[in-house]
Amino acid sequence: MWEHRCKVALSGVGFSRVTRSAEVPLAAHALEAVKGAVEDSGLAMSDIDGLATYPELPATGHAVVDGVTIVSVNCMMAMLKLPNLSWHVQVETVNIGGAVQQAANALLAGVCRYAVVWRAMHNPKGTYQNLPGTHANGPTQFTAPYGFGGPGQGMAVAYTRWLERHNQNREKMATLAVTQRRHSHKNPHAYFCGQPLTREDYLKSRMVAYPFCLYDCDIPVQGAVAIVLTTADRARDLRPRPAYLAGYGQRLAFEVAGRIGSLSSYMEGGRSSSRLTWERSGFSPKDVDVAQIYDGFSASVIYGLESYGFCKEGEALDFIQDGRMELDGELPLNTFGGSLSTGRIHGLWHIIEGALQASGRAGERQVKDVNVSFVGASAPIVQGTTFIFVREPY
Amino acid sequence: MTMSDWSAVTRPIPVPNELTRPFWDSARQGVLALQRCQACGAFQHPPYATCVKCMAIDLKFEPVSGKGAIYAYTIMYHAGDRRFAAAIPYASIIVELDDAPGALLAANLLEAPYTEAKVGRRVEVVFEPLNDDITLPQFLLARDTT
Ligand SMILES: [Zn+2]
Repeated sequence: MWEHRCKVALSGVGFSRVTRSAEVPLAAHALEAVKGAVEDSGLAMSDIDGLATYPELPATGHAVVDGVTIVSVNCMMAMLKLPNLSWHVQVETVNIGGAVQQAANALLAGVCRYAVVWRAMHNPKGTYQNLPGTHANGPTQFTAPYGFGGPGQGMAVAYTRWLERHNQNREKMATLAVTQRRHSHKNPHAYFCGQPLTREDYLKSRMVAYPFCLYDCDIPVQGAVAIVLTTADRARDLRPRPAYLAGYGQRLAFEVAGRIGSLSSYMEGGRSSSRLTWERSGFSPKDVDVAQIYDGFSASVIYGLESYGFCKEGEALDFIQDGRMELDGELPLNTFGGSLSTGRIHGLWHIIEGALQASGRAGERQVKDVNVSFVGASAPIVQGTTFIFVREPY
Repeated sequence: MTMSDWSAVTRPIPVPNELTRPFWDSARQGVLALQRCQACGAFQHPPYATCVKCMAIDLKFEPVSGKGAIYAYTIMYHAGDRRFAAAIPYASIIVELDDAPGALLAANLLEAPYTEAKVGRRVEVVFEPLNDDITLPQFLLARDTT
């Protein structure tokens, strides 16, 4: 087990307004979320001495304007002018989960005391994957000429392999979309809060990239979420009950750029990340009381459930049936609605919900008697990270 | 009618680089050649600076037969890439060649209804010239299914 387990805790959380398109600069959303998290902890902005994010806009063909389409660490430093800032980082290879892990490491190293991590996501005008041009450079030279234009298709090909190898039926995924939407009605920050989705809506919705229909894809939005991380002893003196970080991991598998469609790479990414998390925390899948698993595309949840060890390969679509993922089910899943219902803000919201469930702060959607709360914060293949938060340090 | 109409699609043209030029040079001559590790014998695609199995740097492009099976596929119904809007719905496939297990090639399934794309379906290479320099390897359902 990890000698540093439960020595860092997630304290405050903050949310901005989530809108379909950009009404105010993204920096305003990021500030709203960061201020909310600091206030939730009962801290003053001058207490914050660490900053971390993953700023990437996962759309192509759009100009990057800091403060408008992304919110970098530099942008946040310029806005906040923190008098006691002592550490910051911006990560690249492991998405927002990597920023959270780096902040935990910095706290353990004693180079900061109260770190803020935020994820701000822009929805550009026009086509999300804007792919103009007559030529295909770099890794895209082997994919773009065949009409592979965005991450959705890369995920979709792996999903057909999964479905047909395991003789499965995509209609079973309706349970995931519909249940998560129902969960989101208890999450006032979610984009789709209050908008119902039925099984029939899912089954009749238009196909985007078979086997993905519209409701297998998260909706691009403009918004931000943020957290305060601190050491466990400091967290105990703050306003909210802490969620203790019992262990984390990151994907160790590797995929050559431009190689797409490999189902085994998704599985290897998830297995490697979760193995570290299970070993460090000392827990196993059967100990988990509630799980948040990244769902930018629905099939990510399938690869996650299987590669993290919650069920056998080929069984995840059956695993989520029969009420198992309900708030009172055997494994309550994506209890905040997931990205499919909150909108595309990436995995920091999954991390937030994992922590809120562990600390008993999830309100109407709180699962009973949670101690061990699991999070898979990105698609396992390229940027996967996993976390366990607990209510009781051990 | 389930055949995709490719006639109005202008495909983006691959730009070869140091790693990939031999692949495109062979394709122009109607030969499918993939990068092979001379130390351990593994094929890989897309090309990479080192063997992803054994770290050797002695890599050469060697011809392969062009027969294989659909490893995975998607059918595009949404013109996310507007250059392909005229062809939707169309099948984008991932092919694993008999000679090169583990190397995965993206392609389209041509001259067949897109509904014929299925995991495991036998396919064979065909070459689609884009211009004088670049020829795209593409795939058809195999005539001989053995
Ligand atoms: Zn080798």
